[in-house]
Amino acid sequence: METLRDAFDFRDFSRIERIVFLLFSVFLLVFPWLGTGSFVKAVMIQFLLFSLFGMGWNTIGGYGGQVELGKAQYVGIGAYTVALMMVWWRIPFWVSMPIGILIAVGYSFIIGYPLFRLKGHYFAIATICTSLVLQDIFINWKLVGAAKGIELPIHEHPDFLYMQFKSDTHYFYFIMVLFFAGLFYMNWFRKSKLGYQLRMIKDDEEAAESLGIDARWCKIKAYSIASAFVAVGGGFLAVYNLYIDPYSVMDLDLSIKIALMAMLGGPASMWGPIIGAAFLVPLDRFLGSWLGGQRGLIGLDFMIYSALIMVVSAYQPRGIWGILEQFRRKGA
Amino acid sequence: MIILDAILQGILMGLLFALVALGLTIIFGVMDIVNFAHGEFLMIGMFTSYWTSLLLHVDPLVTLPASAIVGMLLGLASYYWLVRYLLRGPMIAQLFGTFGLMLFLRYLAQFLFGTDYRIVQKGLVVGKSLSLGPFIFDLTKLSAAVLSLLAFLFVYYLLHRTKLGKALRATALNKEAAAYMGIRTDRMNALAWAIGGGTVGIAGGLLVNFWYVYPTVGLLFVMIAFASVALGGFGSIQGAFFAGILIGMIEMLFPMFGHLIGSDFLGPHFKFTIVYFAYFLIVVLRPQGLFGWKR
Repeated sequence: METLRDAFDFRDFSRIERIVFLLFSVFLLVFPWLGTGSFVKAVMIQFLLFSLFGMGWNTIGGYGGQVELGKAQYVGIGAYTVALMMVWWRIPFWVSMPIGILIAVGYSFIIGYPLFRLKGHYFAIATICTSLVLQDIFINWKLVGAAKGIELPIHEHPDFLYMQFKSDTHYFYFIMVLFFAGLFYMNWFRKSKLGYQLRMIKDDEEAAESLGIDARWCKIKAYSIASAFVAVGGGFLAVYNLYIDPYSVMDLDLSIKIALMAMLGGPASMWGPIIGAAFLVPLDRFLGSWLGGQRGLIGLDFMIYSALIMVVSAYQPRGIWGILEQFRRKGA
Repeated sequence: MIILDAILQGILMGLLFALVALGLTIIFGVMDIVNFAHGEFLMIGMFTSYWTSLLLHVDPLVTLPASAIVGMLLGLASYYWLVRYLLRGPMIAQLFGTFGLMLFLRYLAQFLFGTDYRIVQKGLVVGKSLSLGPFIFDLTKLSAAVLSLLAFLFVYYLLHRTKLGKALRATALNKEAAAYMGIRTDRMNALAWAIGGGTVGIAGGLLVNFWYVYPTVGLLFVMIAFASVALGGFGSIQGAFFAGILIGMIEMLFPMFGHLIGSDFLGPHFKFTIVYFAYFLIVVLRPQGLFGWKR
C-alpha cells in the first residue's frame, strides 16, 4: 500500500515539473486524435519505447553509476522469447512476456554475478563483450532462425491476446501503458531503499560498504531490474515489428543508443531518459528520413548525431537535464 | 603439423594485433582513457593506404608513412579538440566522448567512401606466397608481421631508451610527480595520442594488403585490441605484445580445434566470439592481466 502511494506521489517535484508532466500526459492521451500522419505516430512509438529502455538503463547506469553498454542482449531475450513462443507453441503475448522477463532476469543474475566484480572501463567493455557473444550465438543458431531472423505469424486484427494490431493507434496506447507503468515504478524506485543505496554506492563505494551495504549485490539487483524493463520493451518490439533478427534487436548500436539517450537527457534523474529520448529519437528519425534518403548523403545524419554526443560529453556530462537545472538555478 | 601451421599463422596475425593493441595500451597507461575510436583509427589508416596506393599508383607498402602521418594527425586532433575537454568530466562522459568519436569517424568514412567492401587488387606482395618447407605463408601476412614487429620494437625503443620515452612513462606512473619534475604532462598526453594514432595507422596500412576495408571494419579490431590489452594488463607494453600473439593463436587454433573434434558448433563462425568471451574471462579471473600494473 505504501509502495503504491510512493509510486504515485510526485509531491517532491517542483510545481513546474508537475505541470509539465501533467500536460505531457494529457498530450500523450489525446495524441492519436490529433490527426498526425503515420510517420509521426511511428516516431512517437519509438520515443515511448526508448524512454522505457532508458528508464531501465537509468536504474543501473544513472542511479548506480555503472556504465552499462550491453542492454541490447536483454532486448533480444525479451523479443526472442515472445516471438519463438508464438511461432512454436502459439503461446499468447501475455504468457510469453512474463516468461521472457523471468529469463532475462535469470540470465542477468548469472551474467551479473561475475560482471560486478569489475569496475569502470573493465566493466563497460565486459558488458559489450557479453552482448556481442550472445548476438554471435543467435546469428549462428539455426534453431532460432540464425541470421535470417524469425517472422511472427500474422493474426486476425486486432488481437488482444497476441497483441497484434493493424493500426498504430493500438500499438501507441499499448506502449503508452507500459511507459506509464515504468514511470510510476521509477518514481517508487528512486525513493526505495535500493535507490538510496545505489546513489550512495555511486558517490563513494567504500563508504557505502563500510556502512554495511553489500555493493555488489545491490548492483546485481539494479542490473536485473534494468534487464526486466528492457526485456518488456523487447517483447513489444517483437509484436510491433512482427519480424526480428539478431541485427535489429541485439546490435551494439542499440545498446549504445539506450545508454546514450539516458546519458544525454541526464542520468540519475527521473525525467532524464524521457528528455533524452524526446530529443534523440525524432532527431535520429527526421535526420534519417531527410538526409539518409538522399543519394550520396549516407551517414551524414549519424555524423551530426555523434558530433552532438561529443559536444555534450565534453561540455555538460550531466546532460540536457543538467543544463536545464543550471538555468533554473541562475534564474532563482 | 596442421596444428603447428595454425600456430605459425596465428603468430603472424598476432603480431599485427599486438601493434593495434599497442596504441590503446599506451593511451590507457598515460591517461586512463579507453579509446573506443581506436578501431576507427585503424579503418582510417586502411583507407589512407588504399587511396594513396590507388591514386598515386604505388605499392600499398610504400604508403605506410602516409598512413602513419594521417594516424598521428588524427590522434593529435582527437586529443586537442576532444579528449582534453573530456578529461574534466566523469568516466562515463569520457567513454561516451570517445564513443561519439568512433561513430563520427565511422559515418564520416561511410559518407565519403560509401559502404562498399574494397580490397587492394595489386601490389608487391598481394596474392603471393612463400613456401618454407611444409609451411606456406601468404607474403602479405608475413610482411605485415615483420613490419609490425619492427614498428613495435621502434616504439619500445622510443619509450625505454630515450629521454622522451622516459618522460612519457613517468607521466603514466604518476602525473603529479612528473609535473613537479618539469615534465609538461599535457604534451605527454598529446604524444601518447600521436604514438597511438601513428602505430594503429601503420597497422591499418599493413592490414589493407589482405583484408577488406569498409567503414565498420574497426569494431572487430577494437574488440580484439581490448581483449589483448586486458590479457596483457591495461597499460603494459610487453603485455600487449605477448597477449596480441596469444590472441592471434587462439583465433587460429579455435576453428582448428572445432574441426578436429568434428563439432560444427565450435566452427570458424565463432572464432571472434571466443575473443570476446576470452576478454570476459580474463578480466573476471585476472583483472590485472599477465603483466599489468594498473587496476
